[in-house]
Amino acid sequence: MTGLAIDYTTLLPALLPVAGLVLVLVADLVNPRLRRVPYAVAALAALGAAVATVPGLVLGGGTTRETFCLTGRTAASASAPTVDGLPQVCLWQADALGSTLQLAAAVSAVVCIALAWPRTRRRRPPDSTREPVEAVLLLAALAGTIVVAASRDVGTWLVALELATLPVIALVALSGRRSAVAGATQLLVTSLVSFALLVLGVALWFAATGSPFLTPDAALSSGGAFSAASGAPTSVVFPSVSGGVVALATVLVVAGVGFKLSLVPFHAWTPTAYAGSSVPVATFLATVSKIAALAALLVVLRAVAALGTPALVSIALLASLSMTLGNVMALRQDDVVRLLAWSTVAQAGWVVLPLVSISALGVSASATYLLTYVVATLVAFAVVAVTLRDQPGEGRSIAAYEGLWQRSPWRAGALALALTSLAGLPPGIIGLVGKITALRPVVAEGWVWLAVVAAVNAVIGVAVYLRWLRAVITAPDVVAGAGTEGAAPAPVAVARRRPVMVAGLVLASAVLVVVSVQPDLLLRLLG
Amino acid sequence: MALTLMLLLPLLAAIALIAIPGESTVERGIALGSTVATAVLAVVVVWGRHEVDVPWIRSLGVRWHFGVDGISAALVLLTALLTVAVVAHALSGPIPRGGTGSTFLGCILLVEAGALATFMARDAILFFIAFEVVLVPMWVLVRRFGDDHVRDETRADAAGRFVLFTVLGSTLMLVGILFLVHHQGTSDLTVLAERHGVGLSRPLQVAIAAILLLGLGIKVPLWPLHTWLPSAHTIAPTAGSVLLAAVLLKMGTYGIVRLAVGTVPAGVAQLSPVLAILGVVGILWGGLACLVERDLKRLIAYSSVAHMGFVALAIASGSETGLQAALFGNIAHGVVAALLFFVVGDLKEQWGSSDLHVARAALRDKAPRFGLALVVGLAAALGLPGLVSFWGEFLALYAAWSPAPDRPVALLRVCVVLGAVGLALAAAYALRVARIVWAGEGSDAAEGPAGEPVADARGARWAVVMTLVVVIVTLGLLPHLLLGLSDAATSGLLSGLGVSR
Repeated sequence: MTGLAIDYTTLLPALLPVAGLVLVLVADLVNPRLRRVPYAVAALAALGAAVATVPGLVLGGGTTRETFCLTGRTAASASAPTVDGLPQVCLWQADALGSTLQLAAAVSAVVCIALAWPRTRRRRPPDSTREPVEAVLLLAALAGTIVVAASRDVGTWLVALELATLPVIALVALSGRRSAVAGATQLLVTSLVSFALLVLGVALWFAATGSPFLTPDAALSSGGAFSAASGAPTSVVFPSVSGGVVALATVLVVAGVGFKLSLVPFHAWTPTAYAGSSVPVATFLATVSKIAALAALLVVLRAVAALGTPALVSIALLASLSMTLGNVMALRQDDVVRLLAWSTVAQAGWVVLPLVSISALGVSASATYLLTYVVATLVAFAVVAVTLRDQPGEGRSIAAYEGLWQRSPWRAGALALALTSLAGLPPGIIGLVGKITALRPVVAEGWVWLAVVAAVNAVIGVAVYLRWLRAVITAPDVVAGAGTEGAAPAPVAVARRRPVMVAGLVLASAVLVVVSVQPDLLLRLLG
Repeated sequence: MALTLMLLLPLLAAIALIAIPGESTVERGIALGSTVATAVLAVVVVWGRHEVDVPWIRSLGVRWHFGVDGISAALVLLTALLTVAVVAHALSGPIPRGGTGSTFLGCILLVEAGALATFMARDAILFFIAFEVVLVPMWVLVRRFGDDHVRDETRADAAGRFVLFTVLGSTLMLVGILFLVHHQGTSDLTVLAERHGVGLSRPLQVAIAAILLLGLGIKVPLWPLHTWLPSAHTIAPTAGSVLLAAVLLKMGTYGIVRLAVGTVPAGVAQLSPVLAILGVVGILWGGLACLVERDLKRLIAYSSVAHMGFVALAIASGSETGLQAALFGNIAHGVVAALLFFVVGDLKEQWGSSDLHVARAALRDKAPRFGLALVVGLAAALGLPGLVSFWGEFLALYAAWSPAPDRPVALLRVCVVLGAVGLALAAAYALRVARIVWAGEGSDAAEGPAGEPVADARGARWAVVMTLVVVIVTLGLLPHLLLGLSDAATSGLLSGLGVSR
């Protein structure tokens, strides 16, 4: 490997969380009873990572920020294989899409950290505090997410994806309650299976392409495009076989990532893990982890897209099953966290829906939908977290939100905007735009049945979110008149001081409002 | 400029109203002031044929493109002026229970903003977005401010049905729009209408037209898809019923004319027999339901199904007269249904229910103003010559009798005969209502509170009702006022020459 060029400024989005992680560990070493400092460091590191992705966003026009480039002896021979038998390739490629996903992950992490901000009232334990551990885990998962979005070789890709997953399991387990352990166990088992599938998929990829890189060039060197690339020197021995092997590898990767995206039938861990963990951790699972999973999937699919593969029936099936089952189950939930968990399953279906068209259009539509989902879900979870802190006992049931419009109009407004965005109805314009974007590739492929399934699911989804929204806008006196005495809201919730938490909510809501008014801001980020 | 202001004014006023906590007098000023200003702006915009066209969502190719032409002019005026009436009516009485007055008025204004944007959108995807704007506020109106004499579950059912049916329809419409946009490469409705389906194969046109008609047919509503309408109209507060009947239903038929007829003409022609048959079944079904319906509000809702059946029949004829009839019928039904819902809503407010089987004091003697308005409304509903509905229905039947050359003449003529039977049914149910409510058949048996005469209309409510009566009579006597507006536009839409402004 000659001339491995490393550009550290390009790597900053990944380096900053890692630096923060080390800083927290050192601080913990010095003083093991810190509470807020680790979180402050984590928040700063995540913010720094968010800022560091900005140069990648303003590039546009298909250019990428690359580093870890393997250059041959002659830099001029751009696409020709080098002496090592490896084509010139960069192991870190952050283009507009990747940078946007990184930015979204970093901002989501900031909000999660704000929501999990430690309380001061709690007495300090004598020996050591748990906060540094949580901060380290959060930062590690964030670093994994950021790296996976830019990784272009199978090793980094696998390690980064697991780095984004494993700390979350520990976070779920650390949430403390008994059910959290059950959730963590389920998540752990699921992750292991998922990892096995991913490794198998990657191995098949390597077998088919003979290349450890997840790049279009590597995919083209397989037999899938053998006729198109005939004449070009390839390292593949059995071209007729390897096209099928690439397809198999793709399906395995989709299945492996499907666990992390909680697509049906790989979704079983989702409600348990969400309900068991604390709300900030559930938020992290629902946002940053999903970004990591989709970013990983997109890395592979963008490479495969170069082959001009026909649409994948398996993705269409996964999408329609996830949407349907997720929505139907969400319709039956009375616990808002469980409702959001099932809604995640349904929304994951919408996220992969555009990927039936394995093309640039499908990939960017999928990323767009993911971002709209992440923004809206962040706000919904933030409202749940704030409400839960106000009413610790009952803040998880839908009934607890009755009369929220009267009690705290701003919070209710944010929740209403988030729910309508998830449902894809105005005033949540961004949700509506997401729906349009997600359906476009399906229509372009001419899949009418899938579009109709999606339309029906849009209806069930509306029913799901309006059930919650109904409670929000119902006046308490009407509720009392209807005779539900048990749901009488607490007189006036004691306004506790939780400025950081509210700041997180405000940040997420502001993003949601801005992209709802001008959806183009979000859409153009993806180039 | 005036156009953007006209769209944003109700929107901003609605946001301000919803943000205002509790009851105050400011909200009344904001609501009335903004609706009046919007109505004035609407007149200016329609008069000057304003247009605005700036980029909005570049990545999707969606432009902030609004404009008025002959097809939408009358609907824009109807929406803007009727909202003034609705707000004036709402302010002169108690706000329905269920929430604050500011939320109530805010939702009305949001519906207005969405409807105006729908009628003026010149971009297919923008049309879809505007189409969806009215949903949530209307849901709130039905769910929270609906009839509080019924149980909570009934309100939930009515509101839920309304919103779920409509979302299904609009999402199907979105699929159709995306197909159209994908194959034509543009979402500009003007360009799409000018291409007139050129470049689309016939099966594709039929498929797109089928999806669009199915989606929009839910909103219209066409016969088997109408089941959401009676319950929503019955439960909704007066303002909600009026807006639903007079504005929201029009979005369906307007969408068919704007989205389907202009862009996939061959597909619509192929499907016109289905459209005609469903329209006629709707006419008969609605008329028969009205003959036996006990609830007065529900009865008028069913009569809406019948009237929209005439509009569907007119569109199916495919001729210029048919399109004119459809647009005229839209406006006619808007005005008449608004009048009837205002009167019946007021009566229900005082009666506490609108059950026709309860013997009550006759309106003729005790409340002559209500009586007059009700009789004019019923006479218009049965299509009496000299009133506005007559022209819509007469022209619809005439157009369907001699349809465009590529339509099945025999079938359409059978439909015309059945539609004429529907007119007879309309006369029967209108007279039934007049007999019971106005003439007071069986009112001797009235006892207790039901025997008390209702307080007659006065003040702003009387003015609103009288204005609608005057409009009904004026347009009935001078139909060319309205037909002239849409004359050039319809021929342009049908021939694919583009809609002149």
